[in-house]
Amino acid sequence: MKKKSLAAVLSAAMVMGTIVSAATPMTVMADDPEEITWMFWDDLEATQDLISLGYADVIDRFNTTYEGQYHCTPITTNLEEYDGKVNALIAAGQTPDLWICNPGPNMDVYVKAGVAADLTDILQKDNPDWYDSFTDGIFERMTYDGKIMAVPTNFAAACVYYNTEIFKDAGVEVPTTYDELIDVCKKLKDAGYTPISCSAGTAWCLSMIAGYLCDRSGVDLGAIADHTADWTDDNCIRAGERLKELSQYFQDTAAGDSNDQATANFYNGDAAMLVQGSWAIAQMNGSNPDFESRCGVFQFPGIPEENDPNRMIVKTDNLLMSASTEHQDAVIALMKMFTDEEAQKYTAEVGGKFPIIRDVEIDYNKAPAQLKYVQDIMQNVTGTLGFYNESLDSVEAGDCFDNAMVDIFLGNQTPEEAFQTVEDFYNENVWTE
Amino acid sequence: MDRILRDKKAIFIFVAPALTLFIVVLVIPIFQMIFYSFCNYAALTPPEFIGWANYKKLFTNDQTFRIALKNSIFFMIFSAVTQQVIGLFLAVLLTNIKRGRNLFKNIIYLPCVLSSAALGLLWAFLFNPKIGINALLAKFGVRGPLWLMDSKGFIPLPMWVIAFVALWQYVGQNMMLYMAQITGISKELYEASYVDGANKRQSFRYITMPLVRPMVITSLSLNCIGSLKFFDLVYNMTQGGPNHRTEVLATELYAEGFNYFKYGYASAISVVLLIMCLAVTLIIRKAIKVETYES
Repeated sequence: MKKKSLAAVLSAAMVMGTIVSAATPMTVMADDPEEITWMFWDDLEATQDLISLGYADVIDRFNTTYEGQYHCTPITTNLEEYDGKVNALIAAGQTPDLWICNPGPNMDVYVKAGVAADLTDILQKDNPDWYDSFTDGIFERMTYDGKIMAVPTNFAAACVYYNTEIFKDAGVEVPTTYDELIDVCKKLKDAGYTPISCSAGTAWCLSMIAGYLCDRSGVDLGAIADHTADWTDDNCIRAGERLKELSQYFQDTAAGDSNDQATANFYNGDAAMLVQGSWAIAQMNGSNPDFESRCGVFQFPGIPEENDPNRMIVKTDNLLMSASTEHQDAVIALMKMFTDEEAQKYTAEVGGKFPIIRDVEIDYNKAPAQLKYVQDIMQNVTGTLGFYNESLDSVEAGDCFDNAMVDIFLGNQTPEEAFQTVEDFYNENVWTE
Repeated sequence: MDRILRDKKAIFIFVAPALTLFIVVLVIPIFQMIFYSFCNYAALTPPEFIGWANYKKLFTNDQTFRIALKNSIFFMIFSAVTQQVIGLFLAVLLTNIKRGRNLFKNIIYLPCVLSSAALGLLWAFLFNPKIGINALLAKFGVRGPLWLMDSKGFIPLPMWVIAFVALWQYVGQNMMLYMAQITGISKELYEASYVDGANKRQSFRYITMPLVRPMVITSLSLNCIGSLKFFDLVYNMTQGGPNHRTEVLATELYAEGFNYFKYGYASAISVVLLIMCLAVTLIIRKAIKVETYES
């Protein structure tokens, strides 16, 4: 009887112990600093990316400035796995206090689900000076029904970077039209150079070129969203054919190269051109400082009589605050630090991205040379567009577009077939709603 | 002790902790998953019951699911055949050698205890177009294929590559299971067969094979279930790309759930996966007959 009772007690203790330990939150002492989490898409310990290193500096500065009051622990992952991991945490009810997010469908999901906090009053009523410090119109893509749902940390524009030495050696000039670009590619190839470095292994890199070609060919995403235009229209097919034509001039390993490898190809002098966002400036100059003086920039060439050639792909990095955070003051303090003058000066002068606050004095002698070139190009910009995969109806629609472009590149589908795939997706998932 | 084990209450008390955990960690989530599979559920909003719509879409209108199903079945068949045959072959080989047995056993088993995520990244580097195998081939003037990006064929090259890596990683596990079984066979049986004039091949055919059959069921079941729900190597080597050509059921449900927030749809894929695992186990148990040769 004694043994039986003992067994019963031990079993009950084991079950209770398991349940209690799983259900009990960690005890926080009254004197401990408020702990907040910030989720980011790069490993802050291992990265060479200058923008990421700038973010790491901000975290260090925050933890030092608010020592004993607040403390931020970054949760980092690589870029490819970032969205999935953030989503998993959110679905599990463990939303980070603050996380970085691209504009577009991902942010739409967080906003619609009420996961992201409304920052309108925090910015406009509680911190008007902070709000006024931002560049005009910068909140446009992060405003939903008049509510500001995110704070940007920088913005970048997608351009064509080129190796001035290779261009000089091959005797070619910067192209201004698509036909000239093809001509330049031919000459570069004849001179023994790889004309363009691109990654199809990281689908969005190829998709960025496809996005530009679609835009230059006159594709109107607004009209497609309203279904007053189709993905199978002539302008889309022409863009697909141009992608196929241009991809002949990519490096041999483009199909398998990652974004980092394609970028490295370029800054190591193995290719003449790279189509990338200005965030790549930090990566290029961080990995090969000698390359800065040999790197020129031009805007993606236009296609005469088809669309405005001065439209540019731009995007911001954005901070979203959890709607359920219990440490709002700490999170706001961290967001302010990400957008203060020191961080923004670093963004431009070291990182090579554009600041999102006005009145920040950039010393262009300190800033990467490419940033000035990009800024010169920005003077002529007549309109902006987002990344195609971030401008479509959903993350899945963006992936569908990316994958269709990869299929055109790999030769698995003709432009007609590939765009029919996207059209079918829209018929089944978007236009029915 | 016997008296305690005859007491049903005592048995229940002993089993209670494990049973409770089993119910909390496995049974309840399975029922939740089945319920969600009939819902439009985005995890962040309450589930909305939509009947069989997820299953209907899955089987009639989802090209990616069809690719994932095909790849998972290919992976299961390839793994089952190669890992069982090579695992048994290695087990027989190693039980018949005296010197170096432990060394080879450990070498072959080593990949099994390493992290699949780390191995996936390692092999992804080796099959990268610029470094690893292709760089080696380039030194001999040979242009290597796109090991992880080629998308041609019914079963594209990257699926064969991943299946090969999985074979390399897990063959040691099957070998260990068979070795344990073979080691348990009485040596007297072999000696008696040799006295009766049997050669090595015949003793393998008429003694080893029938007596390892119970282990075949265990090993094959584990192998097939593991292959069907295989995730880590695929995710780390190709992430299901290019354009879903290397998607398997587990990566497909991960993408639907965590990338697209379609938890209801992902749950429907999970239910299909669960049914496939149960069906395969049942078929193996029914198909392989085990007779008792020794008491």
